[in-house]
Amino acid sequence: MTIALALAVVGLPLLPALAAIFTARARPLGFIAVAAGLLTLAGAVALAIHLAGGSRTHALSGFVSLDALSGFFVFTVALVVALASFGSAAYLRTEEQRGELSPLQVRLYFVFFALFASLMLAAFETGNLGLLWVLIEASTLASCVLVGLEAKAVSLEAAWKYIIISSFGVTIALVGTLFLYYAASGLTGSPTEHLTWSFLFAHGGGLQHNSLRLAFLLIVVGYGTKVGLAPMHTWLPDAHSEAPSPASAMLSAALLNTGMYAIIRFQAIADVGLGSGFASDVLLVFGFLSITIGALFIVLRGNFKRLFAYSSVEQMGIIAVALGFGGPLGFYGALLQTLCHAIAKAVLFLTSGDLVLRFRTRLVDEVRGVIGLMPLTGAALLLGALAVAGSPPFGLFLSELTIVRAGFASSNAVLVGLLLVLLVVAFIALMRSCAAMALGVSTDADGSEVTVAYAERSGRLLAGAPLVVGLAALLVLGVWIPGVLDRLITHAVGVIT
Amino acid sequence: MESLSALSTEGVLLNLAAVVILLCAFACLGSKLFDRYIAYYGLQSLTLAFAVGVVADQRSEPGLWALAAITLVIKGIAIPLATRLFLLDRFDLSRDVALSTGLSRSLVLGAALTVFAYLTIGSGEIGVALDTRAVVPIAVAVILLGGLCMVVRRHTIAQLVGWLIIENGAFLMAIATVATFPFIVEAGVFLDLVAAVLIMLTFVSGLAARLAEASASELRQLSE
Repeated sequence: MTIALALAVVGLPLLPALAAIFTARARPLGFIAVAAGLLTLAGAVALAIHLAGGSRTHALSGFVSLDALSGFFVFTVALVVALASFGSAAYLRTEEQRGELSPLQVRLYFVFFALFASLMLAAFETGNLGLLWVLIEASTLASCVLVGLEAKAVSLEAAWKYIIISSFGVTIALVGTLFLYYAASGLTGSPTEHLTWSFLFAHGGGLQHNSLRLAFLLIVVGYGTKVGLAPMHTWLPDAHSEAPSPASAMLSAALLNTGMYAIIRFQAIADVGLGSGFASDVLLVFGFLSITIGALFIVLRGNFKRLFAYSSVEQMGIIAVALGFGGPLGFYGALLQTLCHAIAKAVLFLTSGDLVLRFRTRLVDEVRGVIGLMPLTGAALLLGALAVAGSPPFGLFLSELTIVRAGFASSNAVLVGLLLVLLVVAFIALMRSCAAMALGVSTDADGSEVTVAYAERSGRLLAGAPLVVGLAALLVLGVWIPGVLDRLITHAVGVIT
Repeated sequence: MESLSALSTEGVLLNLAAVVILLCAFACLGSKLFDRYIAYYGLQSLTLAFAVGVVADQRSEPGLWALAAITLVIKGIAIPLATRLFLLDRFDLSRDVALSTGLSRSLVLGAALTVFAYLTIGSGEIGVALDTRAVVPIAVAVILLGGLCMVVRRHTIAQLVGWLIIENGAFLMAIATVATFPFIVEAGVFLDLVAAVLIMLTFVSGLAARLAEASASELRQLSE
């Protein structure tokens, strides 16, 4: 039952890729992508509910392995895939109608969007750290096509930068995995077991300390490149700003979490092998550096998609800090933050897609009065920014409060103070730009040509639905965490502590 | 698990190969001509293929023989050939002008990184149990030199070669420390796939040509 669900979750996202063999029209492909996204989400919810009870499944000598932590990440990413597939259906159709994308590009988009989603979901379902590396690496290749899709000089440059820096990262992650495997060479068991997470977690005490330390550092640098932890984040703003907006949503809300998932798994092993101090210190250093750099670059007004990308760097920093604070409260806060950030950032990037289609620009200063021109998009922009900035009553307020409590519980009062200062800076900077875009005086009055983001009613519906659903989910998570989600996160924390 | 002895013929061959691989990395770092980069990288890959073959022969592992063959054909022949045909000849590239550090300074930095690798890895407990322990710091040094190449060179082809050197270093380390690593062949295939994508992307985007003609030699559009 569990295995069947797990296979369905990996297989269903591939439907649009199959359909793209037969047609290159954005309209039918979009509908198939939406259907596949919803079916995947249904499968992921069923799987998560099943795993929320605390059950664990191992098959094929650990190559397939499911526990509450995998269930949580499968649910989060499937939710993002579902939201982004609505956005893709609307965005691609408009770009096709305007002649911006050729049939080949539409086909490529849906094939690689599907592959990207499927590979990320598969990464959560394996317990073998070698296979995890292969899957994350493959998802990088799939997403590279999405970044360079528009085939303009700038987007190809972004794709180059993305893949060369990520490839550097995954090579370092491979060296880290090799060192971990070497650290396990004194243990009994087969070579395959020496790469199986559950085996290493159970026998963490027998790992060689120096090799394990080196392995964890290399893993944080390697997978941290995917997560966008500073100073390895430099690919992130370029890739996010150049990819089509629904793909940016996938990069920011799903891919970064995939990297973070790998780091969490390795942190658990390092904690068992070395005690909690080492891994915590490493994550706190990278976390604070990321929050600082993210917050400072949000202050620069320029391209709004880059603005949201730097906000992702900052948010990933917050999650790393939460993992660094550690303890059940820290891990709970980190996971809740992961889910809420994923939803909020998906909403913001989908909103940015509407803005790009309407204003034909990515510059903050050229976008004004969105709320008057496009009420739903404007409201989503304002509320989404408030949510990401951690304002009540949205989910991120609750998760950041949990992280602050975790900081006090681990007697890191000074660091908590620093965290709060940086959060305030990021809040002011993000709201200054987003409020100006949403509420400022519209410049359309000067007679410039008005374009409509979505010509058809169904396009408007497809574009609006994920915004409404995402914001509603964030509101609900701000005031009430459903029992089954609470159990899922609690058991996920139990898996790694 | 049977292990290599440093004084056996295989052990001596592996050590020699590691030294040649390190020298090739230095040669790349000390060169300004694109076809030299490619030539040194090709030589490095052929030496790596030989080293993998030595370990495969000693351990009689079919997986390692496969890795040796892949390294020989793809890294040693296909990648240098493709880079030469599709990038150097097409864009008529000869001299790398996009250096941010002088050649002599980058060689000194490279030497410092090699010493660093010896001090950190050579003195620790890592690799003590292995008879091939002399190879581990060399492999780490090769990885660091590849990284240095990516940092001090801004031309896409130089960065590509830098990353390929890192990859060779990673595999040298893998065969010296954990030759039984179950995913070694898959990892090789995947990284070669990435290399193919990178070469294709450089080819399609014309980034290489833009950098060659612009003496300012920077990717300006996305800088912030």
